Amino acid sequence: MTPSPLTVVLLGNPNVGKSTLFTALAGIPTRVGNYPGVTVEEKLGRFSHRGRQINLIDLPGTYSLLPQSPDERVVVDVLHGRMADVPRPDCILVVADATNLERNLYLATQALGIGLPVVVALTLSDIADRKGIRINVDELSRRLGCPVVRVASPTGEGIAAVRDHVLDAAGGPAPRQLVIEDTAASRGDGRPPAAAEAIARYDAIERLLAGVIRTEPARGGIAEERIDAILTHRLWGTLFFVAVMLSMFASIFWLATPLMDLISGVMDSVSSFVAALLPEGAVRSLLVDGVLAGVAGSVVFVPQIALLFLFVAILEGCGYLARAAYLMDRLLVATGLSGKSFIPLLSSFACAIPGIMAARTIENRRDRLLTILVAPLMSCSARLPVYLLLCGAFVPERSTALPWLPLRAVVLAGLYALGIVVAAVVALSLSRTIFRGPPQPFMMELPSWRWPRPAVVLERAREAAWSFLQNAGTLIVAISVVIWALMTYPHDERAIDADVAALRSSLEARVAAGGDGDADRAELIGQIESLDTAEGLDAARRGAAQRGSFLGQAGRFVEPVVRPLGWDWRIGCAAIASFPAREVVLGTLGVIYNLGDLDPGDAGATTALERRLKAARWDGTNRPVFTLPVALSIMVFFALCAQCASTLVVIGRETASWVWPVVTFVYMTVLAWLGAFAIYRIGLALGW
Amino acid sequence: MVAESLDDVSVGTTVRVRDVTGADPVSLRLLEMGLTPGVAIRLVGKSPFGDPLELEVRGYRLSIRRQEAARVAIGDR
Repeated sequence: MTPSPLTVVLLGNPNVGKSTLFTALAGIPTRVGNYPGVTVEEKLGRFSHRGRQINLIDLPGTYSLLPQSPDERVVVDVLHGRMADVPRPDCILVVADATNLERNLYLATQALGIGLPVVVALTLSDIADRKGIRINVDELSRRLGCPVVRVASPTGEGIAAVRDHVLDAAGGPAPRQLVIEDTAASRGDGRPPAAAEAIARYDAIERLLAGVIRTEPARGGIAEERIDAILTHRLWGTLFFVAVMLSMFASIFWLATPLMDLISGVMDSVSSFVAALLPEGAVRSLLVDGVLAGVAGSVVFVPQIALLFLFVAILEGCGYLARAAYLMDRLLVATGLSGKSFIPLLSSFACAIPGIMAARTIENRRDRLLTILVAPLMSCSARLPVYLLLCGAFVPERSTALPWLPLRAVVLAGLYALGIVVAAVVALSLSRTIFRGPPQPFMMELPSWRWPRPAVVLERAREAAWSFLQNAGTLIVAISVVIWALMTYPHDERAIDADVAALRSSLEARVAAGGDGDADRAELIGQIESLDTAEGLDAARRGAAQRGSFLGQAGRFVEPVVRPLGWDWRIGCAAIASFPAREVVLGTLGVIYNLGDLDPGDAGATTALERRLKAARWDGTNRPVFTLPVALSIMVFFALCAQCASTLVVIGRETASWVWPVVTFVYMTVLAWLGAFAIYRIGLALGW
Repeated sequence: MVAESLDDVSVGTTVRVRDVTGADPVSLRLLEMGLTPGVAIRLVGKSPFGDPLELEVRGYRLSIRRQEAARVAIGDR
């Protein structure tokens, strides 16, 4: 009979090399998810040693076993065997940073009181050596009453010993507790017992470490001090920070693009391959335009997610992530957020999805949720083509009062600023209302500089990309199929014929009515002529099919709602049909305006769309649909709306609740409508 | 004027904690992070906007906001 597997938990402060030790012991985790009912990450791994299987649980980083956050509560519940579906541990493997032993022993000595066998791993021992910190491990082990092992990840020192000690200790007797003597100082005047215990525990740790640890003048210490002095310098440190953030942002913006193009290219070939295999009809359309489009639409996010997490893991690994939060905290506190929101929000300018996922680095749940809720307001790269097309077509090409500053640049910058300002206002009002609570303390360790471990960095990137595909990808494909169905059905051939015929007669009527002075005359004649070509007729029929589909009908249905924004029902259709992703709005506008599918990256296609939009008239009148106020209204709407199904799916996954995606969609859509209405009215009033 | 609490210490100064005021979880966490009576703290620096602060305590670096630093009374008891 094989003996039952042992359960070992990894307990330690944040940033002490817990993940590194986990990887060294168990390799790639067998499961990463949430504990039942809470969004606290559960990470499980497995290894066997001397014929015994050991299940390893990586607990969230914690400073104390007197829990103050849900994460810390989970830690205590797991240690006491009170967590559903998690067996009571057979051994606690305490991970303590050898370079910062005094504070790390606070948690370690608390663990001695749990009543379970304890093994202490002194991580970063190689760095402690370099810093001249000498620890008498045998004496420490004797005084603590439990095995203590030096661990150094670059050489793999201590890993085998940790395995041995864990196996030997598991199921055996628990070590004695550290004797903590109350002193007059610790009791103080009416101090709560927990506070008195904290003071007494540190006193006990100081006594315990006396003679065990000594610090020699460090050999490498000088260089480290110098790096530290530069990186924390008011000017140089800030400049370095800006440079790091810019390169991170540039890389998720630009480095990801060729990879994303590659994925799109491959998916296009797969689509055409599948399309060639199947006869034309509903099945082919479902597979190609529904399923494969959805797969492509989710896989395309992987490069950005992987790159951002690569960056975040490198920054975290060398200790700079906390430094970034420290530098930006004051700025973000003003909006009710904290410094840790900075990287998620910055990344959201490239794409909200990796940004929302990067909010995992925020331990404070309130700050994390607030960050997730406002991240989609940052103007992501998907909005840029919409801004560029509409700015190019409808914002006059002239400079402002400042001769070197073109009006278009002002509008573009204004749209980005709008997202930031609205996000600040939303975060501030939410933090003052539904997220109001006791003051959120900000106590963050600034880890010492060190080299990130490549294995850990790669694992973070892989894990982020994989969890996105696994959790969000499937749902994104499902939503894509639903949207496909809504845009494809009902498919009524006779209605399509009638629609195309009506289109032709309305175009002919406009040509007949307009004189030679009509600027759009050539464009209108071109449109009529294109209806006689197979390609043009097909595009017009596709437009008619989309206008007649459920989504198209929804566009007509919401016309009274979008009318105050200056939109006709076609713009309403395009806005609704762009729910899968904002950038789709150009494609849907193309289809709705009978141009067929167009590639927003293709200059020819976008100028064709520009001309088509300029020639559009309100049904039965000669009044142009697209004017400057309408174009601004559309841009403001897209700056603020939540037309991105993938973002909403990821919000749902990251918050483990469907409430927050609904809240996000509702508040953003309401704000988008109000913003669009305001700019349209202002534009009309000022006669733009 | 002699600084009374950690939030009005100047950069580079080393001071001793006299006490942490308050009896709520925030004060408890300050103690648990090692800011106990008698311990030496050096104010390493301030963020470019003046807040939060960077401290060195018990051999490690800790960042707290001025608001929390105001709970840390300094000087000999």
